[in-house]
Amino acid sequence: MILDTFSILAISSAVLAILMLGTMYLRANLNFYALHTLAIAMETAWMAQKIHDEHLYWVAFFIALLKVVIIPRYLAWVIRNIDVESDSGSFIPAPVAMLTGIGMLGASYLLSVQLSSLWGDIDSRIGAMAAMSVFFTGVLLMLSRKIAIGQIIGFLVLENGIYLFALTQTHGMPLIIEMGLLLEVLVVVMIFGLVVFRIKKSFEHIDVSRLTNLRE
Amino acid sequence: MAVSADIFLDLVSIVSLPVILAIFSYVNPIIAFTRKITAAAYWVEALIIGCIFWPILMGQTQGLVINENFRIDRLAVCFLLLTAFVFAAALTHADFLFGQEETDEHGTLKSVRLKTFYLCINLFFLSMCSIFVSNNLGCLWMSIEATTLSSAPLVYFERTKNALEATWKYLIVCSVGIALALLGTVFIFAASQHGHLEQGTLIITDLISQADKLDYPLMRFGFILCLLGYGTKAGIFPLHSWLPDAHSEAPAPASAILSGALLNGALFGIWRITQIIMGSHFHNQIMQILLGMGAITVLAAALFLIRQHGFKRMWAYSSIENVGIMLVAIGLGSAALFFLQAINHSIVKVALFLLSGNIVHAGGSKKLYNLHGILKSCPAWGCLLTLGLFAITGAPPFGTFLSKISILAVLADRGSWILIGILLFATSLAFMSLSVHVGRVLFGGAKTDFQAFKVFQTSVVPIILLCCSVILGLVIFPSYWSFIK
Repeated sequence: MILDTFSILAISSAVLAILMLGTMYLRANLNFYALHTLAIAMETAWMAQKIHDEHLYWVAFFIALLKVVIIPRYLAWVIRNIDVESDSGSFIPAPVAMLTGIGMLGASYLLSVQLSSLWGDIDSRIGAMAAMSVFFTGVLLMLSRKIAIGQIIGFLVLENGIYLFALTQTHGMPLIIEMGLLLEVLVVVMIFGLVVFRIKKSFEHIDVSRLTNLRE
Repeated sequence: MAVSADIFLDLVSIVSLPVILAIFSYVNPIIAFTRKITAAAYWVEALIIGCIFWPILMGQTQGLVINENFRIDRLAVCFLLLTAFVFAAALTHADFLFGQEETDEHGTLKSVRLKTFYLCINLFFLSMCSIFVSNNLGCLWMSIEATTLSSAPLVYFERTKNALEATWKYLIVCSVGIALALLGTVFIFAASQHGHLEQGTLIITDLISQADKLDYPLMRFGFILCLLGYGTKAGIFPLHSWLPDAHSEAPAPASAILSGALLNGALFGIWRITQIIMGSHFHNQIMQILLGMGAITVLAAALFLIRQHGFKRMWAYSSIENVGIMLVAIGLGSAALFFLQAINHSIVKVALFLLSGNIVHAGGSKKLYNLHGILKSCPAWGCLLTLGLFAITGAPPFGTFLSKISILAVLADRGSWILIGILLFATSLAFMSLSVHVGRVLFGGAKTDFQAFKVFQTSVVPIILLCCSVILGLVIFPSYWSFIK
């Protein structure tokens, strides 16, 4: 099987997401997130020149601007201010999470073969595999992180998985929708960041697994 | 497609009021003035919506196409009116309640909170409106996500640890849920591409008219993901975990709006997707899923209701029960039943949340076991609470009886006896548990520290709402059933 740029970018974004599972250091996580999203932005640009679609260039540009630069910077700033270095621990230990992530990559491949009756060409099949793997990795990240920032990063990866799926399977949604989504993600992260500050101030920790006052 | 001048003016007149209010409430230093003007403005807003869309409501025109992404049909107008009415009622009550709270505590810190509250409530209204007028699945998705973001500060109003926990849960659970709905939207887009629509489309009316051409496996998958996503927002059973927390921690007017408006908005999203499915040949299986999930939600909520400790939590679970019933109405494919149940539930539930807000504020506790003897301490609130209890559980003179019995009648017509059995069992169980809990609050010795305040003002809005419910229960014109198509 000969891999072209498209497949390499898709798979590298999936692998970078899985690498995030392996480390508990939030800084490292954010750097991996930036790289992982950069791969997705490049994938978008590559797709743009492949199907000659002007608007995807804009989407690629804004992904690079918002998700590769602004959001990681902002979260890094939040981390600095609340003075948290790493995740305190997790429901699933890091090595197990990473192995599960790799297992999920395999499972995604099998799933994408199942779906291949719908998508004939190999490109979109590998795209589907990578997207599903990123999605599952996001879910795993959310399950394996205890503190609020870790959960936010998990949510962002999950969202990237959905975007990658949309990109590889539908060749991009209408421009206005893509832009709306990006803006929405930015606002969500901003609000999450503010809430994290509040949690730190009220509870003096950001371990969301210990927020159990309301549980019945 | 260009927007014609008079449609544009109509829209400006609807949107401008909340926008101006949002800016005004944040800039204006005198909160008492903001409170009064916002309450008045929302009654005007309801009136404006009613006047402008009267021809659509009466069926003289088919619907209003604003541009390809936004379109208003009859059901949308009904929900817009209901939403404006709920906001107006809750904000009128908020004027009395917050006025009371302001005299209780020292003012300065509070005014920042109230400013944020009024800013967010206006943004929340705008995002609610855009749910109903969206004719594009992407816009629908964004509007529903925007409602989460704009209503989260409302939940955090009290600034307590519990409120913060509820806000975090609300944001994270709903964001992940809504992300699933986004994946579902992508699948539906793919379904339209792999069907016979080369370019792919997210325009709802196009999808409905070409429903048969959509790629069915993809469409079904997309539908289920959207159902789970928007269902999280609506509080469908296994995904409801945020709902009781947010409803019980938010201040009473905000809980009333969350329950009376937001849940309808999320269910409206599900209705739009269901409309697309209904156009295709394969809808039977999907409708069964909706009916099943609705019945399970009703049953689960009724079981949760048996053991309750929080006064407002209890009403939140009752909302989940009613959401289940609305889901059954959607599963029957009937917009008329869906709206009838929605309007009846919204009106009564708003009254109940506002009343509970009074009682919690006067009694100083949200716990059921700390509240007793309301009938002695404040007979007016006690009587209204009793009436509200009968109204929400579907007792005869009230509108909820009519909507529930109609849904059961349609089910009986189809011979779905198992569903009827589950629904009857669950609603009677809910009635019994709610009566026991409310009975404890009503009877018993009066609390010594219970301080009823402004009894007349704080009863006005619930009285009006309960009267509306009685009117809806007694006066329903036969043409209603053909009214909403």
